[in-house]
Amino acid sequence: MPPRKTSRPPPYAARNQSSIPIPPALRNLLRRDKLRTIVLGFLGFLTIIWLLRRMGGGSGGAAAVIGSGAPVVIVTVIDPRANSAWVEKVKRNREDYASRHGYATFFPNNTDYPLKSSPLSWAKVPAVRHAMALNPRATFFWYLDSTALIMNPSIAIHSHLLTPARLEKLMIVNEPVVPPDSVIKTFGNLKGDRIDVVVTQDKEGITQSSFVVRNGEWAKYFLDAWFDPIYRSYNFQKAEAHALEHIVQWHGTILAKLALVPQNLFNSYASGPAHPKNGQYREGDLVAVFPGCDRDKRNCADEMQAFFDVLEGKNKDSQN
Amino acid sequence: MSSRSPSPRPGGWSSPGLNTPYDTGGRTSPMRGYANGASQNVTWASAQARSAEVKGYTAFNPRNQGFFGRHFRRISTNLPFSYAEKEKLGRGRHQGNKPMQILYALGRNLWRLRKPVGLVLFLVLGVILFYATPLHRVYRRSALFGGGGSKFVIILAANQGGGVMEWKGPREWAIERDSVKNKKKYTQKWGYDLEIVDMSTKKRYAHEWRESWEKVDTIRNAMRKYPHAEWFWWLDTNTFIMEPSYSLQSHIFKRLQYDTYRDINKYNPLNISHPLTDEYLDPETRSLNGDGKIDSINMIVPQDCGGFNLGSFFVRRSVWTDRLLDIWWDPVGYEQKHMEWEHKEQDALEYMYTNQPWIRPHVAFINQRKINSFPPGACGEKGDDPQIHYQEKDRDFLVNMAGCEWGRDCWAEMYNYRQLSNRLNRNPWEKFKDWISDSIKHMKESKKKGKKDEKGKKDEKAKKGNH
Repeated sequence: MPPRKTSRPPPYAARNQSSIPIPPALRNLLRRDKLRTIVLGFLGFLTIIWLLRRMGGGSGGAAAVIGSGAPVVIVTVIDPRANSAWVEKVKRNREDYASRHGYATFFPNNTDYPLKSSPLSWAKVPAVRHAMALNPRATFFWYLDSTALIMNPSIAIHSHLLTPARLEKLMIVNEPVVPPDSVIKTFGNLKGDRIDVVVTQDKEGITQSSFVVRNGEWAKYFLDAWFDPIYRSYNFQKAEAHALEHIVQWHGTILAKLALVPQNLFNSYASGPAHPKNGQYREGDLVAVFPGCDRDKRNCADEMQAFFDVLEGKNKDSQN
Repeated sequence: MSSRSPSPRPGGWSSPGLNTPYDTGGRTSPMRGYANGASQNVTWASAQARSAEVKGYTAFNPRNQGFFGRHFRRISTNLPFSYAEKEKLGRGRHQGNKPMQILYALGRNLWRLRKPVGLVLFLVLGVILFYATPLHRVYRRSALFGGGGSKFVIILAANQGGGVMEWKGPREWAIERDSVKNKKKYTQKWGYDLEIVDMSTKKRYAHEWRESWEKVDTIRNAMRKYPHAEWFWWLDTNTFIMEPSYSLQSHIFKRLQYDTYRDINKYNPLNISHPLTDEYLDPETRSLNGDGKIDSINMIVPQDCGGFNLGSFFVRRSVWTDRLLDIWWDPVGYEQKHMEWEHKEQDALEYMYTNQPWIRPHVAFINQRKINSFPPGACGEKGDDPQIHYQEKDRDFLVNMAGCEWGRDCWAEMYNYRQLSNRLNRNPWEKFKDWISDSIKHMKESKKKGKKDEKGKKDEKAKKGNH
């Protein structure tokens, strides 16, 4: 028979005699009910870490870098055979503007790229791609042809045109891509922050003397698709201009990222086939373009002279 | 119930048990002529017979009228064991009877351990139920806590080249039926979705035929139809999944970084120069492996001896894929190249891979035999290229009888591979049965050597076909 339990309990509960002295605070923590909270808390902590790692995995890497560099990179392709004094003036025109707003510039030669037998005007496409490779942190790439001059350097293109709100307000929707009556029209319900390329239209169609591309994977797709050798060897009447119109009209993933804005915002024509409504250059416009002044027997330097004079006058005014 | 009360008769009460013939049981026809004579004598049997005549069935069958009923006791007393003894020994204990003792002990222990044993039984039952019911499919399908099978869609091109250009014969129908059945079984097993698309030639535009350029459209439609799926696996009709026990997840997608390569120099039948070296491209596009992350793989393509093979390939739902599907068919490219691009999308993809740098970082290649083994006859007559051809001992996943419609027998190939697949995937019981019949056959053969050698082989083949 087991011994009877004593009817008089000891005054204190028996202490378990462990050889390692545990401080009372820790002993309190290790009590059973508390232990559960500790374990649960630890598991919760692990879960949070796991969730954070999963979320961080998607957004990390190259995508995060875009936007931390210059807001806009101005790309102008230079013809090395052109009058070097004029080329210098054109470059200075961009550099002045870029330094005012913290932009970067990029002036490659049109012979730098493997165009094979296609016209040199195609060089603008790999040039923008090149600028993207050199400035991976920049947000926008503004291709501005050498036949254009920035006439109103006080307008910052990235805040004046390229913010989502401004784009939504300015873009022309349901407009035939090729005037006057193309069946493909610009989309009507695009969001400003989804726009990846901004172009204008002159009288004849989409122009490429001045356009803006947003840095990113889409831009690579757009430029590479545009630069496809089939298009380059295909006898489009106006080479890269018609190739651009072609891909915009046939491929929805390009049209869905395209915003068409009034021509005078960054592509006003000082001469030539401007858009009848809003294409003609007027005092105060950001850009004046002399389309085709580098071709045939025309001379850009001469045609631009009056405008250079105006610009120099302005500079003197601002310096005084 | 009236038949139960004995009828009085002039000579006193007749006792029914005494003069009832044994064999009245079960009889339905009324009886004439009684054992004890006159018809006015109402006996038990006569009353019963009459009531049966009126009602049409006998109301009462005496028990123990069969052989066992009468002789059971006599037989049972002669048996080596006895029920009677049990009571004598008392308390149900069988001393001296070893097997019974063991049984009792076992029963007692089982009863004592009923909780853990019950738990084990419950678990076993649960496992059996899990696999016997569609529950395991639900589990394998579920993306949240299961196998994630709903993330995969198989697009099976049926009726390729059919329609207005070609009539389909019974063989073509049989091929298609087999192929569809094979994929249906596979997708059901693993909880994937199967989309069978009709690839017959249709008129796309008023002025042109766009024969078999519909891969793009059908992939897009499938993406729209299964908005939660991630990977889309294109399969041609002439394919057969040899190993349905491989899931796509374990076979490919869990080991994507080991089984796929983006550096095409590893196997480069087209001699595409890689990486791109044009300095206007960004470093990622110029690198050998894109960004090297698994997440950036958007397309998995096998290469055969002639270049890309789109008989079996994967695309992932992504913006990149949208762009690719959009640019894949272009009217200018079509106009310029459709005579030259015999394999349509396949050639177009090769062209774009070569000429449009944005594509490269996102296309991964996979060893052909992982998803697209060839039979002999495609890419070499012998079928011994370890990069390309199906090897039975390696249990390749899928056979693509590519090009069998050009001078080979599609149906024979499909049939043979189906039989082979069935034979390779027999369950142990079937293997056992086959082993027995094989060994019997072998013994017979070794007896009559020589003459019947050929016939025996034929029999064996036929037998294999049955399993």
